[in-house]
Formats: sequence, structure tokens, C-alpha cells
Amino acid sequence: MLMEWSMANTNTKFLVVDDFSTMRRIVRNLLKELGYTNVDEAEDGVAALSKLKGGGFEFVVSDWNMPNMDGLTLLQNIRADAELSKLPVLMVTAEAKKENIIAAAQAGANGYVVKPFTAATLDEKLSKIFEKLEKAGA
Amino acid sequence: MSMLEEEVSTTLYFDRTFDCEAAKIAPGEYYFTDKDMVIVTVLGSCVSACIRDSKTGIGGMNHFMLPDSAAADKDSPISESMRYGTYAMEVLINQLLRNGARRENLEAKIFGGGNVLKSFTTTNVGDRNAIFVRKYLSAEGIRIIGEDLLDIYPRKVYYFPKTGRVLVKKLKQMHNDTLFKREEIYASKLKTTDVGGAIDLF
Repeated sequence: MLMEWSMANTNTKFLVVDDFSTMRRIVRNLLKELGYTNVDEAEDGVAALSKLKGGGFEFVVSDWNMPNMDGLTLLQNIRADAELSKLPVLMVTAEAKKENIIAAAQAGANGYVVKPFTAATLDEKLSKIFEKLEKAGA
Repeated sequence: MSMLEEEVSTTLYFDRTFDCEAAKIAPGEYYFTDKDMVIVTVLGSCVSACIRDSKTGIGGMNHFMLPDSAAADKDSPISESMRYGTYAMEVLINQLLRNGARRENLEAKIFGGGNVLKSFTTTNVGDRNAIFVRKYLSAEGIRIIGEDLLDIYPRKVYYFPKTGRVLVKKLKQMHNDTLFKREEIYASKLKTTDVGGAIDLF
């Protein structure tokens, strides 16, 4: 899967995964504030994975604690799937536990943000991830 | 980076009146349990959501207020208020779900939001807190089966998660200003702390 990453690419298609509709709405609005309007939502890992397999997504922002399939398992599934393995995944969670952060890093998360984060934090994280992907792709 | 985290209360004691273990929670704290015990708090303009799984009896209570967002973005879905309030609710609900509660069984009773602080009456902190909790729970599809909100008096709330029973005492006379001081300290902490966390490990 070859894609062109650019920090200003506001057409990037996001999938926001969270079991709380209120939180999905916040993340969606934060992304909108940053200029990203191509955003879809899923309420847990199972729903997310089925949407991702449908194709077209370029970035995943996922919560950790969710019923059915949690964010870590979703991340592991993404990395294990030949079609999806390169997809950037940013974990957003209400917890800053060291073991969670390590587990996310080991499973191949591209970033980790602790709630309640601001648009500025999200912007910084996304820029950093896009930058790294650009470098890796160059 | 400084960040205001919701913390699990560690104030446990044996309550002689109810003859059971009790957990007392302060502003910014929460507590949850599957044991037959009581969770106690005193609310001024803060709000508490008492949430439990009606089938298993695991339940808990939080205690928070919204930070005072700039007037311009008060109603914005991404204002500091909304982000912090959503976070405070999520922390409690996540703990319940992780410990076996099922979302469809959740039921809530909500308390507080009294306009008790004289210095706050212009901004109606109590109203904002009460409205937030109601809206949040309805957006998340969690049933509200009881509430005692607004008014001008502080409240002492006893919550028995196992049964869902709640006792509320309206405090029409306060013997001291501990409650008000505590809420004012909490409010100013929310004002001066960056409501937002980031971790930069990778």
C-alpha cells in the first residue's frame, strides 16, 4: 500500500473508535478544528475492524477501553492484517498507566495521547506521525 | 506536563450508622465497588453521578465540576468544560465496564449542582454542571432513574451501589465553610491546570 503523506493533506480519511458517542463527537470536532473533515466513527474494535477492511481509511484514532474488542486488540489485528498493517494508529485513552503505554508501543502504536487532550496536543501528535511517515516513505 | 487526573478515593472507614464499610469521596475523586458498602460525598455546586449495573450491583460514584471555560466557547463540544466533564464521566464508567458491568444494564442517579457559592452565582456553575450530567447520560443512552439537582443548598449523599439506594440530606445550615473552601480550591485548580494530557514516549 503506497500512499502520499503530507501534513497538510486535510483529505486524510480518519476512523475514530470509541465506545462513548460523546467522546467520538469531541475527537471528530477536534479533527475538524485541525481541518480534517473526512471522518468516520466506530463504537468498538469489532465495528472498527470491519469498517477498516472495507478499505479507504488512512488513519485510526482509537480509545483503549471498549467492550467487544478493546483498542489494543484492534491495534494488534491491524498490524497482523497484510492490507492494514501500515495504517497509522493513534491511541487515545483516559489512562496513563505505564504498562498500557508500553503494551501500545510494543503492539506498534504510532502515538499515545491521554484524555482529556486539547486540539493543540492532537495537532502536535498528528504532525509528528505524518512527519515520521513521510521520512519513512522517502 | 501537569494534568488533573481523576483519582480513586482512598478515604475508607467503617460507618457506624449504616454498619458497613464506607468510602468518602472529595471533588475530583471517584470510587466504585461490588461490595455491600456505602459511598459518601458532600456536594455544593459540584455534581455526582451514581452509576450501577442493575443486574450485578457493581457501581460507583464520581464528584466533579466543569472548569470555567471562556464565555466564547462554553457551548462548544470541544471546550475545556466538555472535554473535562466527558473525561470525568468516562473514567468511572470505564472502571465499571472493565469490572464486569454491562452498558445496557447501567442506571444512574444524579445529584448536586446547587448554586451554593456566592462568588459563583453570576456564572451559575451549579446549573452548568447539572445540565452537563443530564445531557451526557442521555447522549450515552444511560438511564437516569433519580435525581436531586440545582436549588441553593449543599447536599450530603449516601449511595449504596449494591442496591442502588440513595439517601440525600439537604444541608440548610452549614456549621463551617469547609465545603465552600474545598470547592473553591478545586475550581481554581481546574482553572490553573492544563486540562489536557500528552505522553511523548514514541
